[in-house]
Amino acid sequence: MHELSLAEAILPSVLAIAEEHRARVMSLTIQAGALQMIVAESLAMGFLAVAEGTAAEGARLIVEPVAVTARCRRCELVFGVEDSIFLCPDCHVADAETVTGNELVLLRVELEPCESMSSTTS
Amino acid sequence: MRVDVVHNVLKLNDALAQQIRADLRGRGIFCPNLISSPGSGKTTLLERTLEHFRGTWGQAVIVGDLATSRDAERLAEYAQTVQINTDGGCHLDAAMVANAMPHLDLDGVDVLYIENVGNLVCPVGYDLGHDAKVALISVTEGEDKVAKYPRLWREADVVLLTKADLLQYVPFDVARFYEDLRALNGTVPVLEVSSMTGQGMDAWFEWLTARRESPNAQEPAA
Ligand SMILES: Nc1nc2c(ncn2[C@@H]2O[C@H](COP(=O)(O)OP(=O)(O)OP(=O)(O)O)[C@@H](O)[C@H]2O)c(=O)[nH]1
Ligand SMILES: [Mg+2]
Ligand SMILES: [Zn+2]
Ligand SMILES: [Zn+2]
Repeated sequence: MHELSLAEAILPSVLAIAEEHRARVMSLTIQAGALQMIVAESLAMGFLAVAEGTAAEGARLIVEPVAVTARCRRCELVFGVEDSIFLCPDCHVADAETVTGNELVLLRVELEPCESMSSTTS
Repeated sequence: MRVDVVHNVLKLNDALAQQIRADLRGRGIFCPNLISSPGSGKTTLLERTLEHFRGTWGQAVIVGDLATSRDAERLAEYAQTVQINTDGGCHLDAAMVANAMPHLDLDGVDVLYIENVGNLVCPVGYDLGHDAKVALISVTEGEDKVAKYPRLWREADVVLLTKADLLQYVPFDVARFYEDLRALNGTVPVLEVSSMTGQGMDAWFEWLTARRESPNAQEPAA
């Protein structure tokens, strides 16, 4: 469900790029931080569903995962977060801001120019 | 051909949420966003809260639900309430809130509560223009929900451990709960409350009062 609504949020930007280049979308890459708890397969399936009948029909959605890192507010140390443990290895306190892991970004789109698209873009 | 974009997927939502936030702050309205699993006690907490502040604050509620208007009917006993039916959608987004707001008379309102759809994942990612995220976890759902759904507890401005009256009957490991929570977020205030017995509710009312007076103290994480 969640993935479907995210797919809906992604589609307009992808279609705008396709239209600008008068092209079809072959694939798109989404950068997803681990904290987003995105199921890559569901997002790809959701995108197939919402893109049906558009210039992105059949496009392959690739999820590029991003690991979680945080910066300690007390000592500024940036550290990797595993198993949801945000404790600073030096201060032993979880007073840290998330540096990476919250991303949800459309990173790139792979296009294939298509002459016929110019007249049939929906 | 490859086109590099770097475009935040929820950019449109976030921009609209900022407009809502500016609008609410302009009117001096404080807006908490209540998030939890289904059935953790959001509506019951709001009933007790609306009752407590009746006569002190002008209050209004936006309540999201997958289906039915039962929560809205319960809350409308205490304050003006609009129901957003998400028709299966698992979270509220800023557009839904923007569409709901004109259905409320916000003149004289000091606090606009938003009860999100019961879900520990999706609502966390959607900025609604709120001033604070209030995260609830009930003792009946198990302490492991903290470690399993980390983001909410990371971004919460306050955590309410609800149904504290039931602690004596359920195998909720309180020590483990605090340990897991503190490994995620060492600074968030935690209040143990019961909407049934009233235990801990004064601390919650105090938190709301203090936070309403300085909503800018901490910028909410989107
Ligand atoms: N014992 C006890 N029961 C409670 C407490 N708070 C709520 N409940 C009960 O828990 C159930 C769910 O409460 P709600 O307030 O409807 O929960 P909710 O989070 O609004 O649920 P959804 O909106 O469906 O996600 C109801 O049967 C309440 O009576 C409490 O503090 N103690
Ligand atoms: Mg409810
Ligand atoms: Zn969802
Ligand atoms: Zn540190």
